[in-house]
Amino acid sequence: MHKRAIGAAAITGVAALLLGACGSSTTPAAKPTPSATTTTTAAAEPTKPAPPVRDAAADLVIWADADRVPVIQKYADAFGLENNIKVAVQVSTDVRQQFKDATKVDKGPDVIVGAHDWLGELVQNGTVAPVNLSADVAAKFAPQAMAATKFNGQSYGVPYAVENIGLVRNTDLAPTAPATMDALVKAGQALVKSGKATNILIQEVGKTGNAYFTYPYLKAFGGGIFATKANGDYDAAKVIVNSAGSLKGATALQSLGKLKALSTNVDGTNADALFDAGKAPFYITGPWAIDKAKKANIKYAISPLPSLAGGGKMQPFLGVQMFYVSAKAKNAALAEEFVTNYVPREDVQLALFEAGHRPPALTSAYDKVAATDADVKAWFEAGQGGQPMPNIPAMNSVWGPLGQAAADVIAGKTAPKARFDAAQKEIVANIAKG
Amino acid sequence: MSPQDIQDTRGPKGPTGVDDSAKVTGLGYGRPSGTSPVWLTITKWVLIALVVGLLAIVAQKTIEQGAWVGVVIAAFVAMCVVVVYGTGRSVPLKYLLPGLVLLVALQIWPIAYTVATSFTNYGDGHTFSKQDSVDSIIANSVREVPNTPRYKLSVAVKEKSDPATAEAFYLLTDPAGTTFVGDLTGLNDLPAADVEKAPNGRITKAAGYQILSAIQVNARKDLNSFAVPTKDGGGIKRVGLSEAFEGKANVSYDKTSDTLTDRATGKKYVPLNARWAPVDGQGDPFPQGWKENVGFKNFQNVLTNDTLRSGFLKIFAWNFVFAVVSVGSTFILGMLLALLLNNAKLRGKGLYRSLMILPYALPGFVTALVWSSMFNQDYGLINKMLHLNVDWLGDPWAAKAAILITNLWLGFPYMFIVCTGALQSIPGDVLEAAKIDGASALRTVRSIVMPLLLVAVGPLLIASFAFNFNNFGLIFLLTGGGPFEASDTSIGSSDLLITYAYRLAFSGVSPNYGLAATVSIFIFAFVALMSYQGFRRTKALEDVN
Repeated sequence: MHKRAIGAAAITGVAALLLGACGSSTTPAAKPTPSATTTTTAAAEPTKPAPPVRDAAADLVIWADADRVPVIQKYADAFGLENNIKVAVQVSTDVRQQFKDATKVDKGPDVIVGAHDWLGELVQNGTVAPVNLSADVAAKFAPQAMAATKFNGQSYGVPYAVENIGLVRNTDLAPTAPATMDALVKAGQALVKSGKATNILIQEVGKTGNAYFTYPYLKAFGGGIFATKANGDYDAAKVIVNSAGSLKGATALQSLGKLKALSTNVDGTNADALFDAGKAPFYITGPWAIDKAKKANIKYAISPLPSLAGGGKMQPFLGVQMFYVSAKAKNAALAEEFVTNYVPREDVQLALFEAGHRPPALTSAYDKVAATDADVKAWFEAGQGGQPMPNIPAMNSVWGPLGQAAADVIAGKTAPKARFDAAQKEIVANIAKG
Repeated sequence: MSPQDIQDTRGPKGPTGVDDSAKVTGLGYGRPSGTSPVWLTITKWVLIALVVGLLAIVAQKTIEQGAWVGVVIAAFVAMCVVVVYGTGRSVPLKYLLPGLVLLVALQIWPIAYTVATSFTNYGDGHTFSKQDSVDSIIANSVREVPNTPRYKLSVAVKEKSDPATAEAFYLLTDPAGTTFVGDLTGLNDLPAADVEKAPNGRITKAAGYQILSAIQVNARKDLNSFAVPTKDGGGIKRVGLSEAFEGKANVSYDKTSDTLTDRATGKKYVPLNARWAPVDGQGDPFPQGWKENVGFKNFQNVLTNDTLRSGFLKIFAWNFVFAVVSVGSTFILGMLLALLLNNAKLRGKGLYRSLMILPYALPGFVTALVWSSMFNQDYGLINKMLHLNVDWLGDPWAAKAAILITNLWLGFPYMFIVCTGALQSIPGDVLEAAKIDGASALRTVRSIVMPLLLVAVGPLLIASFAFNFNNFGLIFLLTGGGPFEASDTSIGSSDLLITYAYRLAFSGVSPNYGLAATVSIFIFAFVALMSYQGFRRTKALEDVN
């Protein structure tokens, strides 16, 4: 299920009205998807503030989340001055859903800033327009980042940051980065035995599981979620959740569950706290967890995910942040100009880096940042070889079943093969529902 | 408020009160305003004008959105307000109108909308009309023609013509520095001698042309579809303000045969299930579908769905138990506390009562999430404090218990408030009579207090039942419907019908609002039937009086 489920909940709300419910009927918050952007904002969900109202006086309206608005505002102002126009950059608390809803009634912005995995859904609803970047500008970006902006071969935006998960370790407990999961478990077990640590490894699992964190285990053995087509797109018709490779990954999850390295009692609400207490040597997470660790005075280092015995390196999904142009933009010319000519500029990409501390998508900007910022370099290296998270709508059918399958296997409830076979069956059936 | 208070407030009215003067005027003297003071008439008309003015603003907004039904409704309501309050014809309606308007807006309209939605395929990917889907598919299929140059672009009109409406020209510079002028007929050379160029090659001045500013280009919406035709059937289109490329739409639409054709692959697409699907059945349909009426398909879907049929009884039983136990447990605890704190000799009642209401005053979202973390098997407060190792959220029975415990905590303050109110309205003389008759305290509660209390709170218990029957938020935040036992995530062991319906409708590739609306109609029917039975029972209770 999904972030945009908030809108879906409107129907539930209607149902609640129908039933003449007494008391305050609570509109459900969306279950956070494991997508990189939502992981950080999940806790803020239930409050659901009102969407922004499009600034009618502006010649160009941009919606972004609160963190990025100040930076974008700075460059939007420069752009406005150059073209003698007024640019409004507005805070949207849930860009994906609010953009969709507002565009439907023709009150949407001209440009939005968001994650690449929204793309399939946005195209499906006809809300975003293709962005024709010239080949030489496109070549300045990391190839994986450019690939993430494409859907059915068409490009729909300009990327500015790439994020992925990696292995964060507490250097007080674990001075060296383990190259393999076996080494990680061994080091962790020794620390737990000596009482220095309570957990071998922290990773979000939860009772309903987490497909985003499950994928690297499947990928390490050549498995995954979707097979790819000849043109590199993910193929919704070929689900490989119970392929031989994926099943090996599932078995690895099972044995890590048995060793208590992974546990369904560790979830999004307590993972940070457990690591920040200084009693866990290793934490598989993304850049969003670093701020808290810093505040807790944890000495940390970031390294690529370890490799699994009998397989290869665990490879994470890449999440790409990008600028989209609305298909219903009232100021299409200005919107395109801003996105194609301003966003690819090195100074803009560097400023956006300062706002989010994710590796920039523009190669030259990344090189500059990586020279001085060891964390960014480490995140980038942890993402090497990773594939963009699927942006096809069929991915919506995967989160629930795959996450639950992983949780059940980690909890030791069922055998990996039977459980992942069932998940495969369920995912295929859900996709068939359309 | 005690019974005495109520009598007191009623006291001063009566023979000389406003009620009677209204009655006199109502008896056929014709103009009610004749007897009302002037200031009252003025206030009345000012209020009417305010309401009409407010509705005019609403109408204006709806006109801007092009929603004509909204305008008609606003006008109708305004008319009703003027007729009902401006004339003295219908006194009962004066009292009923606000309620009626709210009833229609908040109850009837959502019901009608839900029913209407249930007959459509409305959902992600099916949000607009068929024509919109064709337009969107074609617009998204425009690709840059390989091995064509990128031009630097300036948009211009002929000198001394209106920048907003005159025919537009694209002044283009190719990477080699050659300059062209393009219009709707094609591309022509522009002699280099006639132009001035910026360092990046973009034309800044051209003889006979007036170059448009950014804001002027942006204002011309006709340029969004403007393309300078090229020989191979493509067109030179702008990207933003300063760049142009040669692009070609890969997909074309043939209206007579109602097919889309992909020029690159030659594949034909025909309408199938409100989508453009390949005619040979090979490959994916286009993602952009359209909204259409599907008749009873959603209803059929619900009735024939395998997982729904297999899990329905289980979910229904738990749903029923959940609602009944929730209402029962919260009522009993709330009532006991209310009886306890209703003791006249107890000091500091106000403080205790405020504390009791605390769980009710906290936002349900927050408390549900806090309880969820307290139920954590390894790190939760409950297991740690009680030295247990219960997998509260992972074991089917424990999860159900966890939900009922949380709901007891969330719900008892409401029952406490309601019972406190009802207890205070039980006349003291009845209790005194019981005492004189020698009834024990327990006997008084059982035979006097309980029946009188139930008359007052009976309907509220039914309302509470209906609410809990659909307590989506609690289940969603606490267990998410889980744990899931049967190796699939469609039926969870703590699912209510509403959380189950939610997953059923939204676990597909894209949310299916049509199906969701259909399921909520079914749930509505269940709750309506059960509440009807409940209300009939409480009627019987009223006979006690």
